[in-house]
Amino acid sequence: MAAESTALIDLGVLFAAVAIAGLVAQRINQSVIPFYILVGMVLGEYVLGRLDFPALLGTELVPHGSELALLETEFIYLGAEIGIVLLLFFLGLEFNLDRLIAARDRIGKAGTWDLGINFGLGFVLGWAIFGSFLPAFLTGGIVYISSSAIITKSLIDLGWIANDEAEPMLGTLVYEDLFIAVYLSIATALVFGGGDVVEAVGQIGVAIGFILVLLLLVYLGTEWFQRALETDSHEFTTLRVLGITVLISGAALSIGVSEAVAAFFVGMAFSATEHVHDLENLLEPLRDTFAAIFFFWIGLVTDPSLFPGVAGLIVAAVAVTTPTKLVSGYLGGRIYDLDERRSVRVGLGMTVRGEFSLIIASVALAGAGAGLAQGTAEEIYAFAVGYVLFMSLLGTTLMQYSDRIESVVVPKLERVSAPTPQPIDD
Amino acid sequence: MTIYESDLPGVGKKFEVELDDGSRLVIVTHNTGKREVYMKASADADGDKLFEASDRLARKIGTILEGAYFQPVQTEQVETMLSDETYLEWYGVTENAEIAGQSLAKARVRERTGVSIVAIQRGDELISPPTPETVLEVGDTLVVIGDREDCLEFEALLGDDHRA
Repeated sequence: MAAESTALIDLGVLFAAVAIAGLVAQRINQSVIPFYILVGMVLGEYVLGRLDFPALLGTELVPHGSELALLETEFIYLGAEIGIVLLLFFLGLEFNLDRLIAARDRIGKAGTWDLGINFGLGFVLGWAIFGSFLPAFLTGGIVYISSSAIITKSLIDLGWIANDEAEPMLGTLVYEDLFIAVYLSIATALVFGGGDVVEAVGQIGVAIGFILVLLLLVYLGTEWFQRALETDSHEFTTLRVLGITVLISGAALSIGVSEAVAAFFVGMAFSATEHVHDLENLLEPLRDTFAAIFFFWIGLVTDPSLFPGVAGLIVAAVAVTTPTKLVSGYLGGRIYDLDERRSVRVGLGMTVRGEFSLIIASVALAGAGAGLAQGTAEEIYAFAVGYVLFMSLLGTTLMQYSDRIESVVVPKLERVSAPTPQPIDD
Repeated sequence: MTIYESDLPGVGKKFEVELDDGSRLVIVTHNTGKREVYMKASADADGDKLFEASDRLARKIGTILEGAYFQPVQTEQVETMLSDETYLEWYGVTENAEIAGQSLAKARVRERTGVSIVAIQRGDELISPPTPETVLEVGDTLVVIGDREDCLEFEALLGDDHRA
C-alpha cells in the first residue's frame, strides 16, 4: 500500500493531469469524474508503470515507465480521504431535515420505489455472482446510489433545473443520500468485522452508538456550532470547520466507524446554523480540489488488467440496472404528478452513477483480507470502477439526447397509460 | 397573481411567477447567490433560459423592476410587502399635504397614523433616519413602513384621499 513519500513534482503531475482531463471533459460536454479516474489509471503503476519504453522504442534514452508512474503514496491516499470527507460534509450541509419532512410523502414514495427496485435487483445480481451476503450487499449499494454531483450539475447545465422534473430527481437524491449515510456505517462495520458475526454485530453497535452521539450533537449542538464560527475572518472560519470536521471524521475512523458518515452528520450540524452560505462558498474550491484527488486516486489504484475478469459482471449490471433506474425514475416522476415525457426524463437522469458508488468501492478495498477475501474485494472494486466509468458517461449522454429518446418512447407510453376507447385489431 | 415556490435541495430555490398571458417566469436562486431566469410559454412547457445574473446585479434589476429609479405610475401604488401585513411604501409630499413644512416632531405622524417614516429622499440626498427636527418639504419622497390601514390613514394625511 502507501509507503513512499510524495515528491512535489508528483503532485504537480497529478494536478496538471486532472486539470487537462477536466478541460477535455468540458470540450466534449461530458462529466469530469470519469476523466479524472481515467487519467489516474493511465498515470498509475498499472498502465504507465508497465510500459517498457526502452524495449518499445529501442533506445535506452527513455526511462522505463515504472520510473515515471505515480505511486499511491500516503499523501495521495490521505488527500483522497479528505476528498471523501468533504464530499459527505457538503451533502450534510445541504441536507435539510425540515424540507425532507415537509415533502416526506412524495420523497418517501419515490425514494422507496427507487431503493426497492435498484438495491433489490442489485443485491440479487451480487448474490448470483458472488454467492454470499456481504459482496451482494456491497453490489446492491454500488448500483443503487445515483450521483448527486453529476446529476445536479447536469440539471443546471441543461436548464432542466427550471422544469418540473428537477423536483423528483433532487428529492430522490435526498432520500438516497440519507440512506447511504446509514448504509455506509453498516457496510464499514461489516467489512471490518472480519466476517465474524459476533464481531460484526459489535462493530455495528459501536457504529450506531457513534451515530447516535453525533445525532445528539446535531440536535443539541446547533448553538455551539453557531458560536464556533462567529468570526469575520475567512481564514479562521475555514480552519475551524476543517478542525472540527476532519478531527471528528478521523476519530470515527480510528474506532472503526465510517469517516464519511461522521462527516455527513457534522455537515448536518452546520446546516442548522446561519453560516451555511459562507461555508458553501468558502469550502467549495477545497472540496473540488480534494474530490479531484479522490477520483484520481480511484484510477491510480485500479488495475485495468482486472477488467476482463469482471467484464461479465459489468455488462450484467449495466443491462439490469439501467432499466431499473429508468423504471424507478419514471415512477418517481409519476408520483410527483408529472406527465410521461418529464417522467421519462427523471428516469434518464437517475441512471447516472458516480462518487458514492466509488466510496463504497473504496470501503470494499479497505476491507480486503478482513471481512472480504482479497480476491473478492479487488473484484468488487474493479467492477465498481468500470461500472461507474460506463454509467456516468451513459447517463449524461442519455440526458443530453433526451429529446430524441422522448420522441420515440413517450407516444408508446401514452398509448399504454391512456388506451384508446376502440379496441384495435391488428 | 400566483407565485409557486419550491425547494431544490443542493441547488437553492425556485420561484414560478404566473404572468397574465398564461406564460410563466421561472427564477432559480442558487445557494451561491447566482440567479437564473427562465421563461416558460405555458405551465407544461420547458423553460428557455433568458439570462443569469450575479447576486448584486440581480438585486439591481430587482430594484428597477420595483420602480425605485423611475416611477411612471402614481407613487402611492408603489409598494413592497415586507411580511403578510407590513408594507414598505413610497409617498410624494405635494403642496396640498397638511404636513408639508412641518417638522416630524410637530407632524406627529406615528401617533396620528401608525406608520413610521424610515427615510426621506430629497433630490440626490437621502435622510435616513430622519430626526424629530427634520422638516418635511414639498417634493420630498417619504419611505414609510406600516400596515395597510396605517398607510391608508397616512395617504389621507397627505391629502390624496381618493383611495381611502
